[in-house]
Amino acid sequence: MPARNHNQWSEAPSLKTGEWVDSRIYSEQEIFEEENEKIFKHVWVPVCHESELPKPYDFRTASIGREPIIICRGPDNEVRAFLNVCPHRGMLIERRPSGSFLEGQPSGNPKRITCMFHAWQFDMKGNCVYVAREKEGYQDRLCKENVGLRRLRCEVKFGGFVWVNLDDNPAQSLEEWCGKPFECLRKTLDAEPLEVFHYHKAIVDTNYKLWHDTNSEFYHDFMHYHNRVTGFNDAYFARKNEAFDNGHVVVGTFEVNYENYEGFESRAELSFPYLPPNQWYMIDLFPGFNFNLRGSALRCDIVTPLGPDKVMIEFRGLGLKKDTPEERMTRINHHNSIWGPFGRNLHEDLIGVAGQGATMRPGTEPRNILHGRHENETIHDEIGMRHYYDVWGRWMNRTPSEPDKPYTATAVAAE
Amino acid sequence: MQANGHDKTAAVRDSIYRAALALDDQRWQDWLELCAPEFHYKITSFSPEINKDMIYLQGTRKEMDNLVRMLPKHNTDHSPLHRHTSVYTIDVSEDGKTAQAVSSVVFYQNMLDGNNSHIEAGETRLFLAGRYVDTFAIEDGAAKFVDREVKLDNRRLDKGSHWPL
Repeated sequence: MPARNHNQWSEAPSLKTGEWVDSRIYSEQEIFEEENEKIFKHVWVPVCHESELPKPYDFRTASIGREPIIICRGPDNEVRAFLNVCPHRGMLIERRPSGSFLEGQPSGNPKRITCMFHAWQFDMKGNCVYVAREKEGYQDRLCKENVGLRRLRCEVKFGGFVWVNLDDNPAQSLEEWCGKPFECLRKTLDAEPLEVFHYHKAIVDTNYKLWHDTNSEFYHDFMHYHNRVTGFNDAYFARKNEAFDNGHVVVGTFEVNYENYEGFESRAELSFPYLPPNQWYMIDLFPGFNFNLRGSALRCDIVTPLGPDKVMIEFRGLGLKKDTPEERMTRINHHNSIWGPFGRNLHEDLIGVAGQGATMRPGTEPRNILHGRHENETIHDEIGMRHYYDVWGRWMNRTPSEPDKPYTATAVAAE
Repeated sequence: MQANGHDKTAAVRDSIYRAALALDDQRWQDWLELCAPEFHYKITSFSPEINKDMIYLQGTRKEMDNLVRMLPKHNTDHSPLHRHTSVYTIDVSEDGKTAQAVSSVVFYQNMLDGNNSHIEAGETRLFLAGRYVDTFAIEDGAAKFVDREVKLDNRRLDKGSHWPL
């Protein structure tokens, strides 16, 4: 077909409903605000890994749906999460990304979470244990027993990741939410304690769902020279792309030939437990979390949407805690070769998703974004995105291809 | 410092600045020519988030040579990187055969394609900041890199890069 005029360009594609979306779902402020309220404040979010707070009184800070949170390990070794907000005057309590409460802060005592503003102090269970000049100011009208922190649902699971849910009464337990997609790697991830060795972040002018799409569709492997030469064979094209309840997707494994990229080496010697050599599994969790195991290194992406056209992506790399220094160095090199900020693949992925963001700024005309490839639910079948957007439509009560209309189930929903 | 230390520090400084120009101009082989056969390169950063020293990229001279030779096969942001380098200290060993140097370095990205070339091309943005920590072998009046550590201050690297820094 020759190049099209505006009407031809805008008309619905010759695909079934559910095989494309309207690009306004990537660009409208109203939809972004609604996603924060309807989705991110009700789903389980992997905010960090337990190895980032290895000792009692260690803490990490993060945020979900604009809400600042703090995760800390108590003297009982339990990891707990709270809103990082002082109940007194709404001050952000802990300002650092990580640290330890073992030492006192200028406004407070050791082993206390202290708000620097007015010196209110909390223990590792979120109890308020000190209000400065409590009786003098509040007499008997308010006491520290009534002003604890806001606790959050928190679990350590699936290889030691710390999961937080802002909803006190989530519709599903963490196990119910994503236990099934993790089944393919559960034994592997839980065989040995894991440890984070890599962290960096990207803030990209694009919608968070477009990054998640890139993680869940492999058709874009044509963009990656590395993946073409190390992967494109019959076993690669036979990899299953499996949809799970709640919008999750798992891409099955095959044996990658890393040595086919000049200068790279097999990862067979350092395979994660219970896995044959050089396997590659991908678990994509709704609405934007990714667990990517390539033989010797595990990568985890966590999105924090910052606007309809802005997302922060945190990248972590993990190995086994018991690694020798030599093993760890090898894992780091394997990880960095394609996934580091100077690696061969990640840069290409980020260019791709930033390019999409450039064409879908707020106010640009609505476009049809296709995910209609059917290849027997194998790796280049776009079932993952179809499944994701059907679930997204249900959470949002919007039809992804016509976001002004309420959700209606399509044939895609039954795939 | 020995009597001829001045010449040797000048040789070290010269190598650092020639390397900066070669890297600015993407003359990768010219850059590697300044490096000894045993050269080792790495980009590092410390993450307070995970409380770990991290390596973001590392390689031998052969591996770096391989990396730059493979660049044409990869899709890359075309926006060139330029660096401003200031040599802070040069310490020549007692025997005059080796030296260590610490330089401050700031990387600028001169946008070409970026996200939208119509808007961004021609703009210069701060890309990364850090230090070069270099070790040299000095022979016949020339200083060859045997080790370079690019110690970045950053953990936010956005799109990252395919190029050595």
